[in-house]
Amino acid sequence: MYETIGIWTAAIFTLAVYSFLYKENPLYRLGEHLVVGISTGYFIVVTYEQVLKPRLIDPIANDGEYILFIPALLGLLYITRFFPKIAWLSRYPMAFIMGTSMGVGFPLSMKASVLRQLEATILPLYSAGMPWQIVVGNVVLVLGTLAALIYFFFSKPHKGPFFGTGSKIGIWVIMIGFGATFGFTVMGRISLLIGRIQFLLNDWLGVIK
Amino acid sequence: MKENIWSRMLNLDRRWIFLFIGVVCIVPFFFPFGLPVLPTAHVISIFDYVENLGPENAIFVSFDFDPGTDPENMPMAVAVTRHAFSRHIPVFFTANAPLAQGMLESGLAYITNPALEGYFHVVSWQEWAQYRDQGITERDQLEAAWEADGNVLPANSSGWVFEGRDFAKLGYLPYFSLVILGMTSSIASQYPEDMNGNPLVEMPMLQEHKSLRDVDLAATFSGTAACTWWITYGREKIGLPVAFGVTAVSATDYTIFIQSGQLIGQMGGLRGAAEYEVLLQNAGYFDKPDRAFIGMDVQNAAHLLILFFIVLGNIAYFAGGFHKKGALLKGRR
Repeated sequence: MYETIGIWTAAIFTLAVYSFLYKENPLYRLGEHLVVGISTGYFIVVTYEQVLKPRLIDPIANDGEYILFIPALLGLLYITRFFPKIAWLSRYPMAFIMGTSMGVGFPLSMKASVLRQLEATILPLYSAGMPWQIVVGNVVLVLGTLAALIYFFFSKPHKGPFFGTGSKIGIWVIMIGFGATFGFTVMGRISLLIGRIQFLLNDWLGVIK
Repeated sequence: MKENIWSRMLNLDRRWIFLFIGVVCIVPFFFPFGLPVLPTAHVISIFDYVENLGPENAIFVSFDFDPGTDPENMPMAVAVTRHAFSRHIPVFFTANAPLAQGMLESGLAYITNPALEGYFHVVSWQEWAQYRDQGITERDQLEAAWEADGNVLPANSSGWVFEGRDFAKLGYLPYFSLVILGMTSSIASQYPEDMNGNPLVEMPMLQEHKSLRDVDLAATFSGTAACTWWITYGREKIGLPVAFGVTAVSATDYTIFIQSGQLIGQMGGLRGAAEYEVLLQNAGYFDKPDRAFIGMDVQNAAHLLILFFIVLGNIAYFAGGFHKKGALLKGRR
């Protein structure tokens, strides 16, 4: 019974949201606002049930872990954003989070996203016994990376055989990258539509399996 | 500029295109072409990696997406989970956001729904308490004891999954990047209890796999850059093998991690999920592929239509002389 009501509600609001493709209308607006409202409500309930209750309220109330008042107080300081005169207090929890995240994340992020990527482009263009496909791939990778970097080097005019030709190749490399991303984006958007049509035809109308 | 067929084509009301796409995305569901889906190297590498794991290993399956990318991410997460369940690989389920936890529950409900052919029959933590009390926690012994007590696996089911032995629902915690970091030392320090309030430390799978160092794979399914947390805090800190299942939009962003050896493989969009489903079918785990595969005919048809419109638009652009400087401004409404 509840499942049927859920499916009908989801189907009606799916159609309401897609009605925007014809033109904007109150049904679409209703669906849009409900998504935001329900998501926020769900967020609050899960956060309370999964985090606040078992990790803050229960330990303080049942086990007397009063030290948890310190992080609770820090968390509550966020609410001072709503009161202009004491809004500066909200900077303390933010500073704590920012400091912790930077301290913990910076070295690992540098390693994961910069150093490893640098390492991956330092390749032998050719060595004995290397298949020709790999040689071509390595040449394209190394030259393509260099050309794309030259395009973003603005301290010298993009003229001459090195900076001029390099930046021209660079723009082609970047455009090929954008093209691949665009192709995948189209695929992604169609996938989302397929998901909703599968829901409408299968779960709601039951006309396909 | 004078109105002609080319200018009319360039000024076509976009709602006609929406209508065509809508029709093309419905028809193949009723008249499928049955075009083959050939698995690619990046997906095969994930499949092969999971294929080499067994009950003595453990993996993390992280539902790091929200309903906005459900059609793309959910089939991937479902496919990998069904693969792991088929091989009795213990699975820890996590979520990086409250809405992602809803996706986790939805995904598990789908896999364990008796209406699904080849579903997995869940035995909850409480249901097999008496066997734990008797010291029976080893996977095969547990299943044998469970069936010896008269429990019969339904005909359309692929197998039993014992909560705490085959899977644990850890769920959502805030600042999930720091949670991953904490789990590199101890999973129980981050999750003393599972989503249902069951004590995690008593679960056999946690006793055998106490931290991410004892885990063999983290498969994250994500619609955002949150998937990179597993690389930053798992792969780079302790060498945790990581696999991605990402939306098609972000697939190109993360291919670099495969080339650098930081990722085992990656599934990109619905296509990636369909490839994994085909691999599962080819390996004999299930009789037929799941929802992602069914959607691939539609995807192909929609792509053909989009290609047709792109070609048509370019013909109109050049034949109508709109490539000449300033012509487009005058010719477009």
